Amino acid sequence: MKFSYNWIREMVDGLDVAPHDLMQLITIKTAECEGVEEAGSHFAKVVAARVLEAEPIPGSHNRKARIDAGPLGERTLVCGASNCRAGLLTAYVPSGTGLEGTHIGKRVVSGIESDGMLASARELGINKDHETIVELDAVTPGESLPRLQPDHLIEVDNKSLTHRPDLWGHHGMAREVSAITGKPLRDPVDMTRIPQGPAPVKIAIEDFTLCPRYSALAFENVTVQASPLWFQHRLQILGLNPINNIVDVTNYVMAELAQPMHAFDAGKLAGDTIFVRNAREGETADALNGETYALTPAALVIADASGPIAIAGVIGGAHSAIGDSTTRLVLESANFHAACVRRTSSRLKLRTDASMRFEKSQDPVNTVRALARAVELLELVSPGIRLVGGLGDLAAPPKPAPVIELHMDWLIRKLGRDIEPAEVQRILEALHFTVEAPAAGVFIVTVPSWRATKDISIKDDLIEEIGRMIGYATITPVAPVTPTEAPADNPRRRFHRQLRQLVTAQGFDEVYNYSFLSEDDARRFSLDPAAHVTVANPISIDQALLRQTLIPGIWKNIQENSKHFDEFRLFEIGYEIHRRADALPEEVPHLAAAVYQKTKEAGPLYEAKRLAECILPGCELRPAGDAAVHEHPARTAGILWRGETVGRLFEFHPNFVEGRAVVVDLNLGRIEAMGSPEKRYQPVRRYPESAFDLSVIGQRRTLAGDVEKLIRGFAGPQLESIRFLRQYEGAPLADGAKSISFRLVVASRDHTLSNEEVTAVRDAIIDGMRREGFDMRV
Amino acid sequence: MLESQLQALAASAQQRIDAAASPDALEAVRVEVLGRKGALAEVSKGMGKLTPTDRVRIGKLLNSTKTTLESALDARLKSFADAALAARLDAEWLDVTLPAPGTRPGALHPLTRIQQELEDLFTSMGVAVLDGPEVESEYNNFDALNIPPDHPARDMQDTFWLSSGQCLRTHTSPVQVRGMAKLGPPLLMIAPGRVFRNEEVDASHEHTFYQLEGMMVDRNVSIAHMLYFMRTLLKHIFNREVTVRLRPGYFPFVEPGFELDIQCLICNGSGCPVCKQSGWVELLPCGLVHPNVLRMGGIDPDRWGGFAFGLGLTRLVMMRYGIDDIRWLQSGDLRFLRQF
Ligand SMILES: [Zn+2]
Repeated sequence: MKFSYNWIREMVDGLDVAPHDLMQLITIKTAECEGVEEAGSHFAKVVAARVLEAEPIPGSHNRKARIDAGPLGERTLVCGASNCRAGLLTAYVPSGTGLEGTHIGKRVVSGIESDGMLASARELGINKDHETIVELDAVTPGESLPRLQPDHLIEVDNKSLTHRPDLWGHHGMAREVSAITGKPLRDPVDMTRIPQGPAPVKIAIEDFTLCPRYSALAFENVTVQASPLWFQHRLQILGLNPINNIVDVTNYVMAELAQPMHAFDAGKLAGDTIFVRNAREGETADALNGETYALTPAALVIADASGPIAIAGVIGGAHSAIGDSTTRLVLESANFHAACVRRTSSRLKLRTDASMRFEKSQDPVNTVRALARAVELLELVSPGIRLVGGLGDLAAPPKPAPVIELHMDWLIRKLGRDIEPAEVQRILEALHFTVEAPAAGVFIVTVPSWRATKDISIKDDLIEEIGRMIGYATITPVAPVTPTEAPADNPRRRFHRQLRQLVTAQGFDEVYNYSFLSEDDARRFSLDPAAHVTVANPISIDQALLRQTLIPGIWKNIQENSKHFDEFRLFEIGYEIHRRADALPEEVPHLAAAVYQKTKEAGPLYEAKRLAECILPGCELRPAGDAAVHEHPARTAGILWRGETVGRLFEFHPNFVEGRAVVVDLNLGRIEAMGSPEKRYQPVRRYPESAFDLSVIGQRRTLAGDVEKLIRGFAGPQLESIRFLRQYEGAPLADGAKSISFRLVVASRDHTLSNEEVTAVRDAIIDGMRREGFDMRV
Repeated sequence: MLESQLQALAASAQQRIDAAASPDALEAVRVEVLGRKGALAEVSKGMGKLTPTDRVRIGKLLNSTKTTLESALDARLKSFADAALAARLDAEWLDVTLPAPGTRPGALHPLTRIQQELEDLFTSMGVAVLDGPEVESEYNNFDALNIPPDHPARDMQDTFWLSSGQCLRTHTSPVQVRGMAKLGPPLLMIAPGRVFRNEEVDASHEHTFYQLEGMMVDRNVSIAHMLYFMRTLLKHIFNREVTVRLRPGYFPFVEPGFELDIQCLICNGSGCPVCKQSGWVELLPCGLVHPNVLRMGGIDPDRWGGFAFGLGLTRLVMMRYGIDDIRWLQSGDLRFLRQF
């Protein structure tokens, strides 16, 4: 929302704060400002001028014009506008003027030295007309253009006005500025402008909740024409395009008082009654913007006897719009339910200046004030216009103004600083609250209507009013009472932090991937898109699903980084999001770590396995027979730990990754739930140990892990450790056979094992393995 | 007679020790001179023929000759050993500038670093660290935070809605709701985490970013307390005193609500491009917890009060490390990540 500094200054008598300083004050006391920009600074230099003569330049559509610029003297220039004619009073931009960022200087055009320029309304920032140069009347050459002055625009962040319906108009902001600076506020509204007498327009409101008030006035003898240039300029710089004098008045009042209005061509209305009602099923509305909107009964419309003439609070209808032929009009100034307008506007995807204001909960008291202001302005811009009859005004019984009991001791406790009751009263009154003091230390505060619709209803709301006006900088920080208890533990975060430490120590770099997944990626990994949690309004189709595995993200990381590196290790700790009926999705923390090498070697797999073993000491890999589409079918395994499957290790299928990329994917939720294995001290064996090697002959795909498990079983309790040494294929072994060698260490807890005892263990293993069908190399 | 014989023997032995080229040559001298059948032993055999007086005198001389030669031998031996050791050490020269084998530790993501740092800071201040899910109910994300349906504040946060009617949390504030239910008053908590906004991505906007929510509920909590807490927090984050200012800010779940700005650390308030010439950088929305929020969290606002704040972790990371494009953070690009 942009505010004109000049406009505010018109309503704050004696305002002597410069635009930039005012912006700072508003930021600190009221709402966040985004900046100040100049608007129409060229009006300091632009003057009225009379064209003395204008002659066509042969071979060009331009004219050579000689002008009288009053005290500036006569000038010669080149002008391309078709209306440049002798006798015309127009706007002259002397050389040396900056015009919307362009520097106007002397230059040669069509062989003639042109000194300055004659300007169109668009060039002056007044409206969009660029066909002709401005035409003025009743001005003297050399004078400034009437009421067109350099201005500044203060831009306020709309978000910080969400709770302030009153600040969507200049008068509301002027009220703040008056309270901040202590300068008196001038009210532009003269209520005596409201005519007495019976209303020519009948109003029928179906539901006073949706339309708490509808006020209207009728006018005749209307002239539809362009507004004065200064009037247009004021709207233009705020981004409200000038249309014609009637529409401009409605926009002007809205920009001033925050009350949206709408003008109907009374000649186009059917019947004498304006109905405010819900749209009928299947009803449509042809809007001013040329669109036709299909309505549902949730939308509120303004209708005449023949059907909708406006979508309430959002946009007017095309049929009854003000046009050149309009001679009579009905001016609407109404109040609509904020949520209703918001719902309709978001359903129609149509946000207008009106809907933006109504959805902030406008003040019903404001409707008639706006009409009073409009009467004055219409008389200014449409000379001869006449009111017809009196005010049409239908309203729900006014809500009583909120009354808040404010206790000084409570206020001081909340602020954390002392404050005198007199200052509290002064501040609240400057903001137009009514304040009574029935007893020492207690105020009864009545909220003004424009703050009462949504903004202020409880005493906590008043802390802000007082705090911002005294300035938060006056509050000295005070240490809160420190807690004496250790804070509640967060074991999950602790676990994840330990893991991050461990995994980075193993050389893995941490990545963060998005929680989104594209349907294409889901299908690429053979996942059913329909089984995912889906985003109803994704930014793009690439982000329509929520990930239920981290693997596609890791895969992308591998793809991208393999362009730059021959080998790398990376990991992510993130959440899988799994759909659950009638509940929030299940969010399962996972660790996905990848080792990549641009190689044909099998190294990455064992490196990834080592990482799994670092995280889960004693874990076991079991070949998985159910490799997914992205998994190498001969290099995929489940990870078992303490009897449970807690993850998966796989090499990416060559269709997915060139080179070797092996991933460990661990379900951290499950691992965390299992808790840490309990550790118990075992006395260190005191008697010497004995070692011997064994080689077992198996088939090519005999699992060394299985063989080791069998040996452990046969070795009995005296086995201290067993360590894989090597495996071997080739002569003299039969084709398809391999030998797997282990080193075993045996010992006893209570004596030194004799040679006979060691041999007995060894024989037991050899016998056992042979019974299992293995040849032994002894 | 014996005397001169001894002296000659000593002189020649000394000469041979000095001239020995190796420890073996020395050993030969030791055997020949000092050995059981060596020259000195030969000389001592002649002692029996001497007068007792001469025997004592020659005996002493014999002993001293023996000691002298032994220590000369030892010294010479040691110099061989020293030389050998020196030669070995010299031969063992290594080029210490060669690269060391093995993998280097990986890098933690900068967002992890800053989260851990803040968790440590808050934990030391007695604050509990809580978590909330990425997918939230509409109720927790909005209603329980005093943002009812059709409230225009819902437009302040472009929301990703899910087909289920749930949403991706737009802020970490729903963890306030969870925190009140879990901890009850008095409470002191933070909740760092991932949040989502339905926004187009560019160098300074992301649909996925990180926030840290904070909340304190206790008796008699004031703006002055909040200011103290914030200032302490910021002092630790930036590792220096920071000047802060509060100004009004609208967030439905706090009343009054504030934007907390810090004086620009680049220009110290005089104005620069980072602070858009204002001298201030917006950092922390905060406020006193709205009584409706306390009530919906099962806490009696007449007996308890509180403050809450939200810290933009992503922004903090970008400020800390001078990152100029927010998209790096979730790029997974190791050329970026390995810098941390
Ligand atoms: Zn700065």
